[in-house]
Amino acid sequence: MASMKILLVDDEERFLATTKILLEKKDIDIFSASNFNDAMKILDKQKIDVVILDVKMPDHDGIEVLSTIKVEHPLVEVIMLTGHATVESAVDGLKMGAFDYLMKPCDISILVEKANKAAIKKRVNEEKMRMTKVEDLISDPLSVLENKKKIN
Amino acid sequence: MDKTKNSLFQNTRNKILTRVLLAPFIVLLSVCGILVYYFAGYSRNQVENNLMRIASDHCRLIDQFFFERKSDLSFIASSYRFEDLNDKKKLIDIFQVMQSDSKAFFDIGLFDENGNHLVYIGPYELEGINYADTEWFKGVRDNGLYVSDIFTGFREFPHFIIAVKGGDKDRTWFLRSTIDSFYFNKLVEDVRIGKTGEAYLVNKNGYLQTKRRSGGDLMDKDQDFGHYLISEDYKANYPTNLNSFQNYLYVNVKLESKDWFLVVRQEVGDAYNLLQKGILYSLMIIFIGGSIVILIAFVLATRLSDDLARADKEKKEMKTQLIIAGRMAEVGEMSAGLAHEINNPLQIVKSEQALIKEILSSFDKKNGLVDMKDLDLIEESVEQINIQIERCKIITQDLLTFARKNDSSIQTIDINEFLHDIILKNKHRADSENVQIIESYQENLKSIETDSFQLQGVFINLLNNSFYAVKEKRDKIIRLSTSQNNSFIKVTFSDNGCGISSENLEKIFTPFFTTKPVGHGTGLGLSTVYGIIEKQGGKITVTSELNVGTEFKIYLPISKDDKY
Repeated sequence: MASMKILLVDDEERFLATTKILLEKKDIDIFSASNFNDAMKILDKQKIDVVILDVKMPDHDGIEVLSTIKVEHPLVEVIMLTGHATVESAVDGLKMGAFDYLMKPCDISILVEKANKAAIKKRVNEEKMRMTKVEDLISDPLSVLENKKKIN
Repeated sequence: MDKTKNSLFQNTRNKILTRVLLAPFIVLLSVCGILVYYFAGYSRNQVENNLMRIASDHCRLIDQFFFERKSDLSFIASSYRFEDLNDKKKLIDIFQVMQSDSKAFFDIGLFDENGNHLVYIGPYELEGINYADTEWFKGVRDNGLYVSDIFTGFREFPHFIIAVKGGDKDRTWFLRSTIDSFYFNKLVEDVRIGKTGEAYLVNKNGYLQTKRRSGGDLMDKDQDFGHYLISEDYKANYPTNLNSFQNYLYVNVKLESKDWFLVVRQEVGDAYNLLQKGILYSLMIIFIGGSIVILIAFVLATRLSDDLARADKEKKEMKTQLIIAGRMAEVGEMSAGLAHEINNPLQIVKSEQALIKEILSSFDKKNGLVDMKDLDLIEESVEQINIQIERCKIITQDLLTFARKNDSSIQTIDINEFLHDIILKNKHRADSENVQIIESYQENLKSIETDSFQLQGVFINLLNNSFYAVKEKRDKIIRLSTSQNNSFIKVTFSDNGCGISSENLEKIFTPFFTTKPVGHGTGLGLSTVYGIIEKQGGKITVTSELNVGTEFKIYLPISKDDKY
């Protein structure tokens, strides 16, 4: 499998830097953003598998970010990162479609484990979607002319 | 303060006591008093009347006796001739007839006009004695009928006699008979007057004519004679006087037949026995019952005032506890925010630790060769760990400072520095919740004397409230400004949050008033704030508009002596 691509979104710069070093040693492609706008830019440019998202961020509510991601990049899995006081937001997040949540401070290995699981789910979903599109195409070849659907 | 409260409760107790007890007691005692007075009067009346009636009746009895005996003797004197009477044998027969009429006749004797005792029927040796000088003889000679007082006479034994004159133009003779003392005494004494009552006869000089049961022989002077009044008018034969002397009641009646007085006496205790018992029992009941009532009332009143005192104390304790609870709630709110703050540094420390571990384990793989770059990384990590620990330290210190139970202490502070310090402490929260805090302080404000610890609590509370109020807003702004206003420093604290409705605006400083859902906020914050500001001699006002925002104006006196 191609190496997993993770986007880490957190307002603590140092955390982003250190985690990047750690994860790169494990053959993970890691991108980082410390605010919402940067995060969305990266999502647009890169084929991110998993987003690890800090719930409490200065400029935007974590839940808002989650819903935006889910709207614009529905296949990308999101794992919420939460400090103890915001367990409720994490649960809200789960309801809104997040894959899982992590409590700060978290063990890096657990983070990687969950990210792996999320990535697998994403890949599986991706494959399912591709299969569906292929079937559609086979059953109705003329639809290609009507719709310009990209097969991702 | 406790002492005055204590005396207040004791006062209440005493008031209850007196009011509850006084009225009924007065009523009760009045009723008793009236009853006793009238009953005593009535009893006295009864007793006196009783005694007087007994005396009167008895007197009549004795008079009757005398009348009959006089009649008996007079009849004999007029029915028989001198010759019959002079004959001893015939006189014995006559005497027996007399005795069959009445056992009172003890003896009989015939006397001639000169006083010689001609014939005597009786136990004594009296025949032949001349009685011319005796009082009775003189009396009967002059009056024709004579009843004597008790005297000893020739027989030397106390007795009294009845004598009648008999005869016709030719001759005068006298009949005399002694009245049986024993019989007569019995007649007089034999009257029931309670337990201690007695009756006896005295002559006009106070000499006993019958034996006195309570001590006194015939012919003795009645020892009590001077102490009861004898009516000067000897004609009175009904009781005119009731006297009391030495616990005895005396009634005396004058006999009609003779100038003797019947004295009837009774011990006062005996006479008023029932009344005295009645009063005694009543008093006992009043005393015992009254004591019980007083005891019960005292216990109840004490318990009542104790309950009051205890309730008051509990109220005070509860107030204190509530204030502490309020502060703890504030601390809780603060700490919830701060806990998140701590987790971030901890997260970083954890990743640094993981990095160092990773690098160290990679040393093994490189067979002891150390890459300078790796060492640099480790050094950097170690430094970062230190930075994060310092960060945590600041955060926990802030929390502890607030949670510490401080006694109030007056300090001189610069309000701008003070406020700015509080804002700094809450910067993390402001940033993480995306709240903009705008501070505009007037320069060169005078320092104020205030309890800085309590004032800190005030602004932290206002800040917490504002954070809560702006939650739903897009652009969250909290403004803080200071200025000088005469001898007061004015602090304006406003937010653009959800605002307060006009009906709630009146209530916000009330303890326990809160619009937050259950579990969020106790409603004690603003009431404590109000209390603190007032205590410092300041004032706090609020204006608000729903969905626009809220503004608090706090006025703090520069000097402790000023009051708003």
